[in-house]
Amino acid sequence: MKIHVYAGLKDYFQPEFELREEIANTDELRAVLVKINGNAGPLLSTCRFAVEEGFIDKNFKLNAHDTVVIIPPSSGG
Amino acid sequence: MTPSSSYPPAAEVKGFPQETAAAAVPTQAAVIPALSADPLDIVGLLSGAHHPGAGAVVLFSGEVRDSNRGQAVLGLEYEAYAPMAEKLIAEILAEAKANWKLHIAVAQHRVGKVAVGDSAVVVITASAHRSEAYAANRHIIDRIKHEAPIWKCEHYADGTKEWGNNCNCHSVTGDIHKHIYESGQHP
Repeated sequence: MKIHVYAGLKDYFQPEFELREEIANTDELRAVLVKINGNAGPLLSTCRFAVEEGFIDKNFKLNAHDTVVIIPPSSGG
Repeated sequence: MTPSSSYPPAAEVKGFPQETAAAAVPTQAAVIPALSADPLDIVGLLSGAHHPGAGAVVLFSGEVRDSNRGQAVLGLEYEAYAPMAEKLIAEILAEAKANWKLHIAVAQHRVGKVAVGDSAVVVITASAHRSEAYAANRHIIDRIKHEAPIWKCEHYADGTKEWGNNCNCHSVTGDIHKHIYESGQHP
């Protein structure tokens, strides 16, 4: 599974990386990421997730071939 | 008064015989990219946002302040998840056009480094009357700020930097992703 992160999350992770673990949903993905870098936990808890340019929720079934974009709260303007 | 040769003949002015206003102005035929790595061309965007049916054109420019929460700001850097930001901004504009019966709705947001005093985002709305143009413009900029996956990093004079944190709506709504305008508490 490919992971893309933006903004403040780049202080904790590479902008793009790959996870080999079996990850079924966003709750599991968040837990895996916190294991990798616990300091990202508070920010990750506020993030949303997107696949194929659409937001997904925790019920969305993730697949190994998905590219998941992790989206911190927006701060444009 | 001495007649000037630069003045058009009176007959031409009265009848507008050569071209009508509708023929002279563009009507947003060109698609404006939602994101720009170059400085925003505010004058150019505005000059392309006139419409013969629009009696009101409102332009909002969000510009970089030199301070935030007591800290001196040197400039901002914007990052976007471009495919989704472009898609969302297009949806926001289309929805606003339909809801407020706008003739024109344009928005462009900067990515990359933006200096103090420069424009980071421009929204232009044109409608028959001003109330719709103002209301739609406010709605569009609020939604872009809160929903489009665009982030700013503030670079401070003391050498530090900080991502985001320009939205405190959750302190009112109780939900990090729910904003004041969504909860009916918008002024």
